[in-house]
Amino acid sequence: MLKYIIRRIILAIPVLLGVSVISFFVMQLAPGDFLDTYRINPNISREKIQELETLYGLDKDPVTQYFLWLGNVLKGNWGYSFVYKIDVWQVMLRRLEATLLLGVTTFIFTWGIGIPLGITAALHQYKFTDQTLSTIGLIGISIPNFFFALLWLMFAANTGIFPIGGMLSREFANMPWYAQIGDFFWHVAGPVITLGTASLAGTMRIMRGQMLDEMNQDYAEFARAKGMPSDVVIYKHTLRNAINPVITSLGFSLSAILGGALITEYVFSWPGLGTLMRDAIFQQDIYLVMANLLLQGILLIIGNLLADIMLAASDPRVRLRMSA
Amino acid sequence: MKKLLVLLVVLSSTLALFAQAAYNPEWLIADVEGGQRGGTLYLGTTAGPKTLNTYWAQETSSSVIINQGDVSLLSSDFYGQPTQPGLAKEWGVEATEDGGTLYWFVMREGVRWSDGHPLTVEDVIFTWEKIIVPDLTADGNDVYMDAEDNLPELTVEGNKIMFKYPTRFRFGFETVGGFAIMPKHVLEDKVTDAETFQSTWTVEQVDQLVVAGPFKVTEYTEGVRVVLERNPYYFEKSKDGVQLPYLDKIVFEIVSDSNVERLRFEAGEIDMMGVQAKDFPSLRAQADQKGWNVIIGPATAGSNFVAFNFNTADPVKREWFRNDNFRKAIAYAFDKQTIIDTLYNGLGEPTYGPRTSSSAFYNPEIETLGYRYSLVTAQRLLREAGFTWNDKGQLVDWYGNVVEFELNTNGENVMRNEISIILVDALGKLGIKVNYRPVQFNALVQRMYSENWDAIIIGLVGGDDPGWGTNVWLLDGGLHFWNWSPEVMDWVDPDEYWVHPAEKRIDEIMRIQRSILDQDELQKLWDEWQMLVAENQILVYTISQNYLNMHKNTLHLYPVEKYGTINPYGYSYSPGLWKIEYAWKE
Repeated sequence: MLKYIIRRIILAIPVLLGVSVISFFVMQLAPGDFLDTYRINPNISREKIQELETLYGLDKDPVTQYFLWLGNVLKGNWGYSFVYKIDVWQVMLRRLEATLLLGVTTFIFTWGIGIPLGITAALHQYKFTDQTLSTIGLIGISIPNFFFALLWLMFAANTGIFPIGGMLSREFANMPWYAQIGDFFWHVAGPVITLGTASLAGTMRIMRGQMLDEMNQDYAEFARAKGMPSDVVIYKHTLRNAINPVITSLGFSLSAILGGALITEYVFSWPGLGTLMRDAIFQQDIYLVMANLLLQGILLIIGNLLADIMLAASDPRVRLRMSA
Repeated sequence: MKKLLVLLVVLSSTLALFAQAAYNPEWLIADVEGGQRGGTLYLGTTAGPKTLNTYWAQETSSSVIINQGDVSLLSSDFYGQPTQPGLAKEWGVEATEDGGTLYWFVMREGVRWSDGHPLTVEDVIFTWEKIIVPDLTADGNDVYMDAEDNLPELTVEGNKIMFKYPTRFRFGFETVGGFAIMPKHVLEDKVTDAETFQSTWTVEQVDQLVVAGPFKVTEYTEGVRVVLERNPYYFEKSKDGVQLPYLDKIVFEIVSDSNVERLRFEAGEIDMMGVQAKDFPSLRAQADQKGWNVIIGPATAGSNFVAFNFNTADPVKREWFRNDNFRKAIAYAFDKQTIIDTLYNGLGEPTYGPRTSSSAFYNPEIETLGYRYSLVTAQRLLREAGFTWNDKGQLVDWYGNVVEFELNTNGENVMRNEISIILVDALGKLGIKVNYRPVQFNALVQRMYSENWDAIIIGLVGGDDPGWGTNVWLLDGGLHFWNWSPEVMDWVDPDEYWVHPAEKRIDEIMRIQRSILDQDELQKLWDEWQMLVAENQILVYTISQNYLNMHKNTLHLYPVEKYGTINPYGYSYSPGLWKIEYAWKE
């Protein structure tokens, strides 16, 4: 198992290198650079812009820039943000917390509700419960996030039940810890429901389909015929088999947590990485964009690895393959 | 125990009172009275600051916040002119016998930084000698130079600071009177080079900020809010003796979307908002019921214009764009009033030249030039220039080429986008096919620097004084983008290079204006400049929206009561924030 993990990590290195090369040169293909806003400022002379190009290393050709960057990354220096004039990690750390809080809460929401609902739907196939759940799920999946978020905010503004965007109340710093937690959930409800409804239906449908497939398999029938209680057949045997594809999709969820919520973050004024990256791309703050893309690559790899390990825990056949 | 506590409270409050009483600088007495101290002002902003270092801030999201803490020798009046006292209590300018110009300022005594440290002549010298002269700033120090690229020589006599230029130079009050003074005792070891200085006072270093202006950033939660608190040592008082600013705090709530800002304003969470014309009627309808003051200010300063590339790659198009009648016809075909009425609910004004009516330097004479919407005039002008129409109704030039060109703007700018679409439609009526291609901002800038564009809609910002636009208007200026000089861009063929006679005269005006100290003489030049641009439509100006502001009527903004409007220039980014130290809340 350990050998397997080490092998996977070594294999990840060329993948990450590939990601960095492609993203760096795609960034270079985009017209202009960070200094474009300086260029149309009537108060800045051409000489000063050339001076700044040298200061930021933008006067070198892209290949040199890439290798300089790569060399620095290997030394642990990921470069600094042109806009913020601080280390890219510091910039990202300022946003990471908000993104993770939103991502993890959404993840718990979708999976924590989607899986049980999927099972329930499967157990009541074609009955009223199943059809109601499917309908609700379809509604959730078909309303665009942007629209849903705006509707939510209108609702919040008119009723005052929920805050109009944002992440922290004004009084947050003076609240006792339990009120702070409450404040967080009060604010996160809108974005989580917006993001959650979109993926909830998906998780639910997969779970339902898988459960139905497994429940109709010969082994399930055999177990029931043998006189095994229905609950044991469902929760001990079919569920364990049915959940495998859902676990596999977890690998992607981890990296999606970092990048998948741009529009929702924007509408809810949620101070996450999504909006930061949008601005960074527009401002051509290359090292910040690079760091974010690499971070996403790393998380995708870790996510897949975790998914595989979890899969091994749930499925003995996978375990056997890994140790081989 | 209880007694001890009481004693402690009494002791500490007397100490605090004593500390306040001990601060008695040569106060600047503001022209306000009757305001109440205290309260928090809640504002919305669409982005947080990127840096807190005023010399490296390039985005309004940063400068609008940092400027609340900046202080310089002079401050700006209602028109943005440096005529008001700041750290200097007396000032003046003298033309010296050797042909030079001497600007002098007498500094207020007893002023302190927000940390209680005395603010003295030393800090002014420090900022000048260690930051501006060695050019550790993003903007560079060109603006401080006279026509011969000299920086002034700084000398000090006690409390009198003197900047002497070897030539006649008229910008001294704006430049040497207007730079933000930085605290020597805090930044002394940060001014070694540009790289170190730009990494000073980043958003990570909020706690290190020391300011002399009315408000200091004390807290920044990334992407959530910025909190500014009053500087207890600010040196300004109201006429009835209240130390300013009136407000205790300003909180900028960061809302990324302007729709959300509006919702929050309607819900009463934000006290003041700049309003877009399209939202104006629906917000105004609620104003009485919600208790809002509605202000329709003068036209905004920055106006969008259409620039035609006199050096575009295609020689045929070049000839059209260089033709006066062609550009004038476009100005006539462009129905400015209809755009204002339909898109801006009537809240704007047509612009014909490079300054709007709210400018201190505006020349109203350009309105008499008669550039009102008229397709007939446009057609007549085109015919006079030798253009004809073919049987399909297309405009054809003197060689038989069908007139068609590409128009770019940065599509994310809603106003420019709308103007472009209407322009395409209007020119269609003249038989001109315009291919509108909105591009991303960076792509637009890259195009401006190349020969690969035909027409662009853009707006440039800068100070109200036209002298600040020399980089744009000088023939060899770094931003004379519609007609790059071969000296600036090597791709311009010197044999093909052509200069409009009006541009030549503008170039002259821009060169001589720097050394003219007489205001009337100067205004004559600016009048001429505006007429030259407008008469020849070197750039085809479009429209300018009015400043629109709504705020709770419990909030009192100084200029509103004084002038019945909000100053557009004193704070070009966010008009309601001009002299925010005078604002108070009931």
